[in-house]
Amino acid sequence: MALRRIIKELKDLQRDPPTSCSAGPVSDDIFHWQATIIGPSDSPYSGGVFLVTIHFPPDYPFKPPKVAFKTKVFHPNINSNGNICLDILKEQWSPALTISKVLLSICSLLTDPNPDDPLVPEIAHMCKTDRLRYESTARGWTQKYAMG
Amino acid sequence: MEVAEEAREAVLVYALAAIANEGAEAGETAAALAALCDVLALSGPDLIHGIPSAPLAKRLPKLAAASAGGDDGDVPLLATRAMAEACEGAPVWAARFAHHGAVEALRDRLLAVNSIELAEECLRALEVISLECPEECLSRGVAAAVLQFFDFFSTNKQARHKELALQIISNIFSDYDEEYVSTAMEAVPSLCNLLQSSDKTILKSAISCLALVAAGASENAEHMGKLSETNAVEATMSLMGNEGWKSLSDDTLTGILGLLKNLASVSAKAVKSLFELDFCGLLKQMITYYSSSNCDNDKVKMLLELIYQLMPPLGASEQHAKLVTAKKNVIMGQSAYMNQLASIVALTVQVAKCAALSSICYRCVVVISNIVELSTPDFLMELQKTVNLSSFLTCLLARKNRHILFQTLKISRTLLEKCQQFFLETFTKEGVKHSIDSIVSQEKNSSHQLKTKNNKESCLSFDLESSSTGEACRIENNAVMKLGEEIKKRFFSVKGSKKSPHRFGFSLKSVRDFFARLHAATSPTENPDSCKQLSDLSRRLLSDELPVTSTFEFVQSGSIKYLAIYLSNGAYCNTDLSDEQDVLGQLDEVQSRLQKFASLALTVSNESSANPLGILVEKLLDTLQMCYDSFPVMLSDEPSTRESMMIPLRYPETQEVTTLELKFRRSQREKELRNYNDVLSVDLFSTPDAIEPVLLPEVCKKTDQEPAPKNLNQEKEANGNSKLGESKNDDGNRSSKLRFLYNGVILQPSATFFESILRLMNKGQSDLEIDPSFWDEEHYITYRKRNRSKEISSQSSYNTQLSHVQENLQYTWLKDPFFTAILLGKLPGDLDGSDPSYNLLFMLKVLEGLNRFSYQLLMDEQINKFAEGTLQDINDLKVAIYPVPQHQFISSLLTDKLELQMQDSLFEDGLIPSWCVYLVETCPFLLSFNTRWKYFCLTAHRLFKTDQANSSTSDHFHGHADQVKSPPQTKKYRVTRSAIIEGAVSMMTNHGPSSRIIEVEFEGEVGTGRGPTFEFYTTVSHELQRAGLGMWRGDNREDGFIHASFGLFPKPWSSSSMQGIDFSNVLQKFKLLGHLVVRAVLDGRILDIPLSKAFYKIVLEQELDIYDIPSFDPELGKTLIEFQALVKRKKFMETSLRTSSPTADLCLDFTLPGSPEYELIPRGSQKMVTLDSLEEYVSLVVDATLKSGIAKQIEAFKSGINEVFTLKALKMFTEEEMERILCGEQDAWALKNLEDHMEFEHGYDISSPSITTFLEILRELGREEQRAFIQFTTGAAQLPLGGLASLDPKLTVVRKQCDGNVDDELPSVNTCRHFIKLPPYSSKEIMKKKLKYAITEGLGSFHLS
Repeated sequence: MALRRIIKELKDLQRDPPTSCSAGPVSDDIFHWQATIIGPSDSPYSGGVFLVTIHFPPDYPFKPPKVAFKTKVFHPNINSNGNICLDILKEQWSPALTISKVLLSICSLLTDPNPDDPLVPEIAHMCKTDRLRYESTARGWTQKYAMG
Repeated sequence: MEVAEEAREAVLVYALAAIANEGAEAGETAAALAALCDVLALSGPDLIHGIPSAPLAKRLPKLAAASAGGDDGDVPLLATRAMAEACEGAPVWAARFAHHGAVEALRDRLLAVNSIELAEECLRALEVISLECPEECLSRGVAAAVLQFFDFFSTNKQARHKELALQIISNIFSDYDEEYVSTAMEAVPSLCNLLQSSDKTILKSAISCLALVAAGASENAEHMGKLSETNAVEATMSLMGNEGWKSLSDDTLTGILGLLKNLASVSAKAVKSLFELDFCGLLKQMITYYSSSNCDNDKVKMLLELIYQLMPPLGASEQHAKLVTAKKNVIMGQSAYMNQLASIVALTVQVAKCAALSSICYRCVVVISNIVELSTPDFLMELQKTVNLSSFLTCLLARKNRHILFQTLKISRTLLEKCQQFFLETFTKEGVKHSIDSIVSQEKNSSHQLKTKNNKESCLSFDLESSSTGEACRIENNAVMKLGEEIKKRFFSVKGSKKSPHRFGFSLKSVRDFFARLHAATSPTENPDSCKQLSDLSRRLLSDELPVTSTFEFVQSGSIKYLAIYLSNGAYCNTDLSDEQDVLGQLDEVQSRLQKFASLALTVSNESSANPLGILVEKLLDTLQMCYDSFPVMLSDEPSTRESMMIPLRYPETQEVTTLELKFRRSQREKELRNYNDVLSVDLFSTPDAIEPVLLPEVCKKTDQEPAPKNLNQEKEANGNSKLGESKNDDGNRSSKLRFLYNGVILQPSATFFESILRLMNKGQSDLEIDPSFWDEEHYITYRKRNRSKEISSQSSYNTQLSHVQENLQYTWLKDPFFTAILLGKLPGDLDGSDPSYNLLFMLKVLEGLNRFSYQLLMDEQINKFAEGTLQDINDLKVAIYPVPQHQFISSLLTDKLELQMQDSLFEDGLIPSWCVYLVETCPFLLSFNTRWKYFCLTAHRLFKTDQANSSTSDHFHGHADQVKSPPQTKKYRVTRSAIIEGAVSMMTNHGPSSRIIEVEFEGEVGTGRGPTFEFYTTVSHELQRAGLGMWRGDNREDGFIHASFGLFPKPWSSSSMQGIDFSNVLQKFKLLGHLVVRAVLDGRILDIPLSKAFYKIVLEQELDIYDIPSFDPELGKTLIEFQALVKRKKFMETSLRTSSPTADLCLDFTLPGSPEYELIPRGSQKMVTLDSLEEYVSLVVDATLKSGIAKQIEAFKSGINEVFTLKALKMFTEEEMERILCGEQDAWALKNLEDHMEFEHGYDISSPSITTFLEILRELGREEQRAFIQFTTGAAQLPLGGLASLDPKLTVVRKQCDGNVDDELPSVNTCRHFIKLPPYSSKEIMKKKLKYAITEGLGSFHLS
């Protein structure tokens, strides 16, 4: 069941790819994907290409996929291990969501960080108190890690 | 050895001769004495007994008293030592020495104070002598001598001597004769000096001695007066303060309380000092302690008497007039003192309402009566507002006990005398007036009858006054009636008060109208307007009116009945439910009414108020306290040996069982049956139903009937009987052929003979004490054939129809006993429907079920709304509920009553009144967990399936005495660590069903006993959680274990689904788990395995349905429920109008989510789920998850349990309680190093005051709260194996930045990172409140997402 659904999502992605991201299986294992997200132009991540790993659980779509950044990102809701704090990947997951929608949500999280519910409090603090410094650091990281 | 003994004897002979020689040299005597001492010290009592005592007894005291002068200094010392040795070896010698003047000699030696060594020996000797002949010592003034000597031992080293000295004094004063009072009083000043001591042990002993003196002098006012002049009260209070009383020994505390009581009773000064030292505060602590958690009825009685003595005695005679005024002056002089007394009233009222013992209740009433007597009208009016005295009086006036009735009436009279206007009004509202009216009319009707009956009631009056000894019971036969009439005449006949706005009439009517209208509005759907109106009215009534309605109004208005009729759609009180009634229609209607009521009663209109259901339950429980006499406690006169604290589980024992002699005779009207006319000895559990199969073959006349089938029948019955209450539920279905009568009254087939006979013998009484002769008597039982023609009633056919319908129901809550009860409109079993408690039990049972299944009820309603289109968005498919916490259903009165019953030593043998069994089986929620656990421990021994087959057919008949069962020995078993599972399996297969305690040792290790056994259970529980076993749902963790965030639940299995795993292995492990569970329960072991709530439901034999899935797999559960809603919606719309069904996008096929190999239908992986097949899909997934997929595992698990005892016995516990039993009370985290596994950041560190407070609060949280906290902070109810330490990332506490007032903020969390953001609250109280609010609200919202 999960397999069928994942294949369907893959086909849908290929048929109608989203503008700012792409995704597909890493190798033979259809449950393990890799995606790329292009930094949104109106954000300090603009110009960066971010690699994201996706693991589908066996009971997908009843359970959310596990999504994590492989590229280092300076962001209040993404920690150094690449873990993302996003409600739809946790308790707000619904089988009606797809990987394509998840990736779009991550894009918008890059544009609009949520420093009030941070995963990295230090970055959140900077984001709230010194927006310019946060943006420049984020830009710096993007240049350093995401434009290879 | 023998040589030594011979030598010793030789020495003895020499010594005795030398000592007897009066003319001997001092040196020679000394040497002989020294030798004697050595021999005595080394010899056992046998040898000492063998020594001819007469000459020694005469001689030694003389030698001890010998002239102090001269240089024979050693002789007295040695003689004294010899006496001490002799006395210690053989206490009988003490009296002999005393007879020959030893007491005087020793006293004089002490007074002379020669040397410490000599004094020491004196004390040693006196200790024994004082114990043996205290009177001798007292009259000779030993006490004074010992006390005078006290200062002599000044150094710390000699503290032991001081204790010894005080021991002597307490020996002397224990229970001394009145004639020595004045001698004893001489010791008082010195004892009082000792009260200055800073040494607690000395202080304690000194006070105990004083208490003893006082106990003896209590009859003598003059002496007591002297005692009260001392500083005894202050010293005592300093010892008791700061919870000091908790560390005192039982005897000491009893002594102290006695001392204070005696002092208070005679001296106003003592009373004053007690008030000054806030004695009432202390009393409150102690009463609370002893009446609730550490039930000790004697202490409570004593404390209540003490309170009584603080106040001037009621109705005191002339001679005490002075004392009365003195005490009055003390208390009235200071408003603070009066307030202290008032603060006790609330507690006393509470104790009186819940006390199972009438004697305690009586004391409470007397105390309150006294306080009321003392109070001013204003004060009483204030008291009524805070304590509600009137409602309390109504509660007591419902009792049968005449002593309590009389005192209660007296209180009512006093209250009316003091402020008639005010109390007449509250009396009307709270029902006192009504009760008094009905008591008077009742008494009048039965006054002549009572004269013969009521002398059976044991007198409760306690020794209130020193002068009243020997007075017979003070309450005359018609005193109650007289007093009642007096009150009526004096106060109730005054009708002038009508002008005051009578709220009473109004609210009574409105409550009644409300419920009546509820019922009248049978089809609310017809008119949405009136429906809305009605629900508005309901809401207003439930949340606004109910809280201010008095319990009396609530009862009197018939609200309970109307509500029951409404909810049951008329089935309640309707005895002839006929076939015409459509079971399904009834079911739907009742279901929809329950749902409506649930959404009304469980939602809170504004945050501050409690929800209406909670208030309703509280009112019902309040009312239940008026039914004190419906639950009579029966006590045997056997001395109660049981400790009131925790008791261990009983294993089957070979023990003499109490039996009852029953002589069966044929009824005179009976012509068909033979006369048995023989005595049978039956155990207390025997019921007519159980005896019948034994008796029937004997009395059946027809001889040609072949015996074989009869035996078969008999055997079946015998086996059935060995399982407790096996066939309780199908009442009426069993057709008994015999009818048993006692004194012409037909006995209930399911009640024990024993109880029925007792009840009939003591008619008209509630609590009773069984006369010893009861056991020796033969009780005559007559029998006759039962004419059964009207057996098969319409009722039972309705029942069959109902059970048939329920079989096919989708939701399991519709099969729960609570729902059956409301559907049939009656409680299970054959309860007396006319008993006042019946209504209440029925309603409580229904409300408890409603509360337990509130999520299901409300979710179901939501789904229906969605289906009908009133709810548009599927994301709104959620319910916010605030169920009433389970503990609010506990009735403290019933808990206390059962506790009292269980303290009887014959309880295990079957001295169990049927209400106990009924409550435990049908309404367990009314009893506290500890009480039920105790009940389980005491009754479990009957549920064991012992190793020997129970084949002998007449077992139950002669009691258990025939069955030789093994005593609770321990069985040792050895396992190898490397093959622990295999070891466990073989151990449990061989010894699992053993009725012995199993202990485990590990191969190659020396440890035995508890330690290794506990480790064994822990290790095996861990092994059963290994990943890859195919047992559980959940994620595999890196460390090789399964983690299930919401507890372990079995993974569905189908023949194709799990390659590489041998299913028989899985089954074997489930069976092992069953064994472990049952051994854990029986042997008190602890498992470390986080089973899910749903799994515990299975243990408790409850069925699961779709609504249980979210509790262990929220994501799957949520989606399935949404699918379910979609299915209903589609059904509602009949045609699928939607062009694109959302299910197509999901790409679901007919396989189990998460296990693509598990095909729900043949070739299911090829078949896609469409909107049309969604319903089938949902039901298949639910079935696979909860039933067919795990059926074999569950079967294996249950078989493991059932091999040892019947699973049914556990049904009295809830899921949470099962977890407590199995997994122990240990905390969800290791408390000692809580801070080691947490991090503190962003404004906090380990030393921040807020963190210190926070950690303190965490440590104080109960188990459920801890779990709520874990769920709040991590999102999962279960910590991974290893607890807090293995949480990743670590739990982190950070400071929450607050803009406004810190104390208005709530803590918040980030479950991704396990952050808790804690505002720096200003106080611990606020932090605790806010934290608890956050975690419990968070828990409630678990269902929200």
